[in-house]
Amino acid sequence: MKWVGLIAVIFTGGLLLSAMDDFPNWGDAHSPANASPVSQYYIEKTIEDSGVPNMVTAVLADYRGYDTMFETVVVLIAGIAIMAILRVMNGVPGGARPSPAHEIGDQHDIIIGTTCRLLIPVLQLFALYVIAHGHHSPGGGFQGGVILGASFILTAIAKGLDPALERLPEKRYVKLAFVGVVIYSGFGVACLLLGENFLDYGVLQVLLPTIDAAEARSHSMLGVEVGVAFTVSAIMFAIYANLASKGELEGGL
Amino acid sequence: MAEQYPIIVLLVLLFGALFVGLAGMADRRVCFPLTMTALVLAVMVSVGILQRVISGGVIRYFVGGWSRPVGIGIELRIDTINALVLLTITTVGLLTALFSFRRVQEDKTEKTPLFYVLYLLLIMGLSGMVITGDAFNLYVLLEVSSLTSYALIAMGKSRRAAVAAFSYIIMGTIGASFYLLGVGYLYLRTGTLNMMEIHQAILALDGPSSTIVVAFVLILVGLMIKMAFFPLFGWLPNAYSYCPSSTSCVVAPLMTKVGVYVMVRMMLTVFGTEWVFENLQYTQWMVGIAVLAILAGSVMALAQVELKKMFCYLIVAEVGYMVGGAWMANHWGMVGTIYHIMGDAFMTLCMFLAAGIFVKQAGVVRIDQLDGMFRKMPWTMAGFVVGALAMIGIPPTCGFFSKLYLIRGGMESGHWGYVMALLISSLVNAVLFFRIFEIAYFGKKPAEGHGHHVDHSEESVIKEARPSALIPLLATAVIIVLLGLFNSNLVELIERSLQGSEVIGTRALSSKGGLG
Repeated sequence: MKWVGLIAVIFTGGLLLSAMDDFPNWGDAHSPANASPVSQYYIEKTIEDSGVPNMVTAVLADYRGYDTMFETVVVLIAGIAIMAILRVMNGVPGGARPSPAHEIGDQHDIIIGTTCRLLIPVLQLFALYVIAHGHHSPGGGFQGGVILGASFILTAIAKGLDPALERLPEKRYVKLAFVGVVIYSGFGVACLLLGENFLDYGVLQVLLPTIDAAEARSHSMLGVEVGVAFTVSAIMFAIYANLASKGELEGGL
Repeated sequence: MAEQYPIIVLLVLLFGALFVGLAGMADRRVCFPLTMTALVLAVMVSVGILQRVISGGVIRYFVGGWSRPVGIGIELRIDTINALVLLTITTVGLLTALFSFRRVQEDKTEKTPLFYVLYLLLIMGLSGMVITGDAFNLYVLLEVSSLTSYALIAMGKSRRAAVAAFSYIIMGTIGASFYLLGVGYLYLRTGTLNMMEIHQAILALDGPSSTIVVAFVLILVGLMIKMAFFPLFGWLPNAYSYCPSSTSCVVAPLMTKVGVYVMVRMMLTVFGTEWVFENLQYTQWMVGIAVLAILAGSVMALAQVELKKMFCYLIVAEVGYMVGGAWMANHWGMVGTIYHIMGDAFMTLCMFLAAGIFVKQAGVVRIDQLDGMFRKMPWTMAGFVVGALAMIGIPPTCGFFSKLYLIRGGMESGHWGYVMALLISSLVNAVLFFRIFEIAYFGKKPAEGHGHHVDHSEESVIKEARPSALIPLLATAVIIVLLGLFNSNLVELIERSLQGSEVIGTRALSSKGGLG
């Protein structure tokens, strides 16, 4: 069977390489992708449309925001799927019952404890910065959400899962994950209700404290990025908590 | 309002899932009503979309209002073909949701909300794949529908479900990656992701482009894995037979069919029939593999002792029908394929609903346990018989007419091997299902009656299924007959969207472009 796999890999690689000489040159300004009216439009009109200097964020959250909404749903599904498969539920709503004393948490090393105490607030602050500054500099909801989720995971690694779950219990992170997608799609539905197409943020200028449609777009992008961050951070922690404790949400690693 | 239908059909399903997730965690009783509400609304909106497409032609919906220049935003594009497939998806979703009532609540009570969240998102993902006009957006929704289906399959009670789901994850991910690579190659050469724009760019290319050919091959192979086309169907039988009944009832009819739909969409809209049939000389190859798929599926179905496994191999054969029909470069072949996507979705649904009821009410897993079922569960068997007759291809069910169109296409384009395979497969189906009827009607001969799980005291307990299971089955049976009776109307609708396509656009006999 290994030979079959090897042959398949060589064949696929050959197939991918076989089109190489038909590729546009590296960095060719006239290649189809660079010369198409679509990329021209992005480069020329992004500032005019939404005033967002980070073009990538504008494409991601505005022009192709519909894709990003479903990407957020994909993240949500990943977490829900892991809970559906792994989570051990004993008919107790909400899951985890209070565990017998924090054995691991009480004995934790002073160095680890101090480091985390110093590190976690900075991490979380940085996460908020990355989320909020996504349309001006590299960053956004996915990246910021991951950093935020990582700060909770760090708590769980350093102090044990139970103290981490006290701060972010299961009920809350599940709710957060769903609320994130509700925020994202809520922005779209608000546009629908105001009579425009789904996710046409410009029309939101009547709701948001903005001066024109471009600023409404910019603010709405921040709004949907916050929604993405909710879902991503909650799901990051949900996946860790379920995997680390085999779905028991107790003890952990 | 009405012009927003394309997005509303997805939004009712998305918000249904979100509300089930938020409210269902607190009170599980709201899950089922919320799910049903969302699906009923989705079916109603799909009907609205179909009406609009019939009266007003192709619907183009630009998400975010980004319509000029085409391709900066994401376009949803609905013609009569997607409208029909969309209605099929939401209807199957609704019927299966009704079937899942009680079943899910009995199986895994605590996880009911999670099940319904995944279920609604699966239907949303499939619907979104069908209505989108953007090649990359299709990939995103392919991810949504694949991930949800992996999770739903892995929720099965037996450990084999988890193993089956794992191999499905590996295969499915490879398939999706191939699709994505193909889209990447297309973007490299055309500079756009919008399906219509890609088509224009391909038409405008000067001379042959190996990038486009490789992109097409990658997309085709990826979709072949997704639709379980021979020889890439290894993941399907285990995944579909070990998962919970309510999962198999939605995954089995829809996943492979949507895969076929995407292939047809790629051939019709993205690459264009002229390019596919006249530039590439793959017709003979693809129809040849389809013939193998039909024969392999049929032969392996004959060898099965478990009911669900048998149905799974029949799916493999049915996928062969559709791929062969699409690739024979003939008007009737393509029409038959698209018609069969709908018909086969309901036929498969009927089979799996009946199998689910057998497992639930009588604990029947193997074919030889169906002993005396006509007497014990007459209504269930009535529904099952209609589905079985459709699988064999007996008028007035839809199975007869799709085979009629496919065979006509095969004869016109001279693919006699395909025609033979289709007839052989029908005969095999007849053997398979009449064997089941015999066992279920007359019971087994005493000499064969070994290995009984159910002794006679228990046997008398077996009774007719609950209305929540019976109504979807009988409704499916009715739909199968209706699809057959109104086949000419449906074909007329499908032809409307095929008009203007090279090679397959008209009914002309001379359309032998692919014979090369």
